[in-house]
Amino acid sequence: MMNESTDILRFYDVTIAADHRHESGIPAFNLSLAPGDLTVVLWEKEEVGIPLADAAEGLVAPVRGTVTFLGEDWQTMTADRAAAQRGKIGRVFEGESWLSDLNVDQDITLAQRHHTRRPVKEIEQEATQLCRVFGLAGLPRGRPSNARWQDLQKAACVRAFLGAPILILLENPTAGIYADVIAPLINTVRDARERGAAVLWTTNELQVWNNPELHATARWRMLGSPMRVIEEAKEATG
Amino acid sequence: MFVGLTEVAGGFRKIFMRGIGRLGEMVWAQWDELRHAAAVIGTVLYVCARPRYWVRTVRRAFVRQVVAIGVESVGLVCGVAVFVGITVVVQLVFWIGEAGQSQMLGPLLVAVVARELSPVLISIVVIVRSGSAMATELGIMKIGGRVHVLEAQGISPFIYLVTPRVLAAAVSTFCLTIVFILVAFLSGYLFGATVGKGSRDLLLLADTVSRAVRPKDVLAILSKSTLPALFAGASCCIGGLGVGGSLTEVPQATQRALVRSVAGLFVISTVVSLLTYIG
Repeated sequence: MMNESTDILRFYDVTIAADHRHESGIPAFNLSLAPGDLTVVLWEKEEVGIPLADAAEGLVAPVRGTVTFLGEDWQTMTADRAAAQRGKIGRVFEGESWLSDLNVDQDITLAQRHHTRRPVKEIEQEATQLCRVFGLAGLPRGRPSNARWQDLQKAACVRAFLGAPILILLENPTAGIYADVIAPLINTVRDARERGAAVLWTTNELQVWNNPELHATARWRMLGSPMRVIEEAKEATG
Repeated sequence: MFVGLTEVAGGFRKIFMRGIGRLGEMVWAQWDELRHAAAVIGTVLYVCARPRYWVRTVRRAFVRQVVAIGVESVGLVCGVAVFVGITVVVQLVFWIGEAGQSQMLGPLLVAVVARELSPVLISIVVIVRSGSAMATELGIMKIGGRVHVLEAQGISPFIYLVTPRVLAAAVSTFCLTIVFILVAFLSGYLFGATVGKGSRDLLLLADTVSRAVRPKDVLAILSKSTLPALFAGASCCIGGLGVGGSLTEVPQATQRALVRSVAGLFVISTVVSLLTYIG
């Protein structure tokens, strides 16, 4: 594990309460992600959403402790600063995450178009490349309501990795499409780690947790009610 | 007997006090909502004056809203304007001619059609057609977690969802009001000329109307079309984004937002009219 000051994401003695979006909170835990780290978190209750990714983005305030991103506490950032910092994070969301008034391609590229001045053509080229990596024929152009849910799930992966984010939050990215997506996902995660990004991968699928190709720097398990956090394994950053 | 009367009086006092209490609660609730809407409008105006918030996604969202609220309403507005032209403009032209007060034609057309009727009618069209869509769309987005997804991507829902909608409502309402005035006058002239009940000289009518327009009329049209639209846009966004976790809340929130918008429209229009007349 790297020095504290170089951590991309750090949970310090954090307790998160359940809220209207998350049925289960997370009691006191410490977690840090340095550049190149991959932490895989298995939670064992399929029906319960956990607020880990939201807390990592400062969208849920911890009842105790601090969550820092690139050394800054989310709670002390201004709204503009927090929005700009969230622009450096890629995320696959648990559940539906598509805006109905945008086409899928516009939604995939939305954050990049919003936060950067990169030419749209360049963003679309990168998105198209990622689409091919994840097994899509190209950048999906239609409305999300007309797309297959499997394609939307792959497009969600494309959106998470677009623009070389420094932190990648994957919430059950293989749900329903494990066989199709696990290999490209592992490869893309490895590439992202090699360029210095940190990855926090939450899943409720044992086959992901047990996958030997992941080479995670830490493996966590969340179980029970209220959830208990158990650090299962830890290895040096590859 | 005396004790009974005291009890009855006490009962009435309780009911009266409860009524006063309810009235007070309602007034405070309305006051809170008004303050909330004013805060949203103020923030929207502050944000739109800062170029750094006008990133390309926000510009594009604004254009989409102008198309949805303004451009797509042009047909409906023209239809309403034709009816108003045929009924109101022709009537005014005809009766003023009958009364021999033709010098009053211009000021009356400007005051009745351009200054008073047009902004109110167009605001109602925008509130009914687009305000309801706005509140419903945002409510569904909020409940479906899409607003949360935007926030998680670092895209402020206020900047990306609220600001373009509120501004587009104001800009579109003003532009539609101008379209409405022109079409109403033109259709009134054409109908009057066709049935022989009014001026046959279009240039004369245009000259009469344009001479009657004073700067305070322009200001009144501008404020009566933009202020209620800003208020309606803010109310509908607040209503839509204010829903909790259930889809059944969306129709109720939409209904409340529309009622507030229409009430706000009449209050603002009345205040602006009074200020215009006093001025």
